[in-house]
Parts: sequence; structure tokens; C-alpha cells
Amino acid sequence: MNQRENFLKGFVKENPLFISVLGTCPALATTTSVENAIGMGVAVFFVLVLSNMLVSLLMSSKALRELVKPVRIPVYIVIIATLVTIVEMVMHAYTYSLYQSLGVFIPLIVVNCIILGRAEAFASDHKVIDSAVDGMGMALGYTAALVAMALVREVLGKGTITFWGDAQLNLNFIYDFLHVQPLDMFTKPVGAFLTFGFLLAGMVAITTKKQNKEAKGVKQA
Amino acid sequence: MNKGLVSGLVLLTLGLISGLLLAVVNSFTAPVISENEKLIKYAAIEEFYTLADYDLTEITLTSGPVDTIFVLKDKTTGNVEAAVYSVKEYGYQSYVKMLIAIDKSNTVAGYKVVEQGETAGLGTQSVTHDFQMNGVTVPSLDSFDSISGSTITSNAVKACFSDVFSLVTQYGVGGSAQ
Repeated sequence: MNQRENFLKGFVKENPLFISVLGTCPALATTTSVENAIGMGVAVFFVLVLSNMLVSLLMSSKALRELVKPVRIPVYIVIIATLVTIVEMVMHAYTYSLYQSLGVFIPLIVVNCIILGRAEAFASDHKVIDSAVDGMGMALGYTAALVAMALVREVLGKGTITFWGDAQLNLNFIYDFLHVQPLDMFTKPVGAFLTFGFLLAGMVAITTKKQNKEAKGVKQA
Repeated sequence: MNKGLVSGLVLLTLGLISGLLLAVVNSFTAPVISENEKLIKYAAIEEFYTLADYDLTEITLTSGPVDTIFVLKDKTTGNVEAAVYSVKEYGYQSYVKMLIAIDKSNTVAGYKVVEQGETAGLGTQSVTHDFQMNGVTVPSLDSFDSISGSTITSNAVKACFSDVFSLVTQYGVGGSAQ
């Protein structure tokens, strides 16, 4: 597997949210606006890339590997928790409004299965560079999935797209033109589950079709 | 060596490193965080005065409708320049919480309804309504202009003013029994 494939697999083939269905809790709760989704994505990116690098660094030396192996899960958790706490403190200090809207879901990144999963399944037996690239791909894939959900929810629920702070795209003229109100439901948990369900179904449909095509190609050859 | 002991030591070392790292980051972010929190708390007062120009002392009152007095003192002379009173009175269905700023010349420098849960459309006008109290000298309430249609909310606002005025007449600007 080359570096490019390693990076791109996080987007579609092994997308953490839509294929592995990991980290769904913050995905349902924080996707009320695109800004929140991006903020969550940035936090996950930082933690995932650094934790992957640190874990693979720790596991690459043979002596350390022997020491850490019996207690590797607690070790991973301590590393991840440290990184998450740093992210939380920095966000509290410099992006206060984002810190408030993400709320409890920042500290909950510690128990996000994507990060622990990548540490155990990938970083622990791969090189540092590979692990970092894998972390970037996974985190960006997760962010893309979150933004996709947030786009659907914000446009249908509020008629706006908030990119960051005041950078907001107002699409309410469409609703005015149609003489209808935005569906408030989509900003609520109901909308989160519906959006997630439909996007998940769409993603599965696409990948299954692709797999069938590949399988056919093999047969004909 | 005992395997359990080794594992324990590994975790202990890791914990110490993490703790040290967090302490370093905390030393950078903690002042910014406390600064932010202060800014949010004083954002309302900033509407009347620029806080950076004054020395601020906070007096917390335990009884009565006025709960906090923010006394603004001149930075060099230490004289009281103004005081902002945080006061609340019960209106029609909720507490109407106000900030009232009194200048050292005993005039109302500004006021703002910062919190209320009154009837939407009627009592909620109190947030934007001009009660004609700017520049009024304590303790006159003659110029007070009620909101037509929401007498009880207006009365709460009026009571807020008279609470502050009675404190000012009794103890001076920024003064209190404590």
C-alpha cells in the first residue's frame, strides 16, 4: 500500500463514520452547524495524528515495546487523554464560543473509538510516517463526514451555512421563495438520526455497487 | 523484577510526563482563560464605561435587591468616578435584572435590562424601551416613562431605579452599608 492509498482510504474505503461506524456520538450531537463540525474535526485531527505518531514511536523501539505491551491500552488512553486535555485548554482559551458549543464532546474525544482503534489497529505495528499519514486521512475523512452531515442539517434546519464565526451563507431566500419555513426538526436529535441514517444508507449503496462491479470485473478477466 | 511492578512503573513514568506537559500548557492558557471569563462578566458594564481606564472594585451585598456594586475608581487619584449597580426586582412573572450606572455627579449615566422572562411582546419591550432616565439626577423619578401595556414590568424597572437611588442617597455613589 503506497502513501497515497494509505491517506485516501480514510475518506471512502474505510471512512471511520460511515463504514466503520465509529465516533457516532459526537457526530450526532455536534453537527448542528458546519462550524461545529469543522471545530470537532480540527480537534480530532490534532489528537489522532499526534496519538498515532506517539504510539508508533513508542512501539517502534523493541525494548520499550516489551515494557509497554502488557499495559498498552492504559498507556494509549493516557497519551490520548493528555492530548485531548491540551486541545481542551487551548480551545477554552482561544476559541471560547466553539468551546461552549462543543461542550462535553471535547473531553469525550478521549473515549472516541476512532483514536483508540487507530492506535491499536494501525499505529502499534506501522512506521511513524505511515501512522501520521493514516491519522491525517482518517481525521480528514471523519471531518468530511461530519461536514456532510452538518451541511444537510443546517441547510434544512436553519437555512444557513456557518463556516466560521461570522462567515455565514444565508440561503433563507430559497425558503422565502417557496413560502415555507426551514424544518426546525433537523437541528434536533431527530434530524441527526434521520440525516445519519440516510447518509449511511447512501454510502453503503455506493460502496456495495462498487464492490459488485469489481467482483464482476474479476470474473470476466 | 516483578512484571506487575515494571508495568506500574511504566504507567507512573508516563503519568508524570503527561502531568508535566499539561502543567506547562496550563501555565500558558490559564491566564487567557481567566481574562476571557472576566471579559464576559464585565461585557455589560463595558457598555457604559471602558473598564481599562478605571480601577474596579466589586462589592457584594448579601441582602436587598442590589446584589453587586461595581465601583470604578480613578487610576491615579483613587477617587470614585462612577458605580454600576446590579439590581433585580420581581416583575409580572420573572425577575427583571438591571445594570444601572451612576456618575460621581449623582446622575444616571446609563441603564440596561440584562435579564428578564416577562411576557413576550409586552414585558420584553423593557429591554429596548427608553425609560427617559438618562442624565436624571438622583433621586428624582419624575421623568420615568412606563411602557404602555406592561405596567407591572415597568414598575419592576422603576423599583430597580428607586432601590439604587435610595442606596445612593444614603451612602453616596459606590457606597454601601458594608
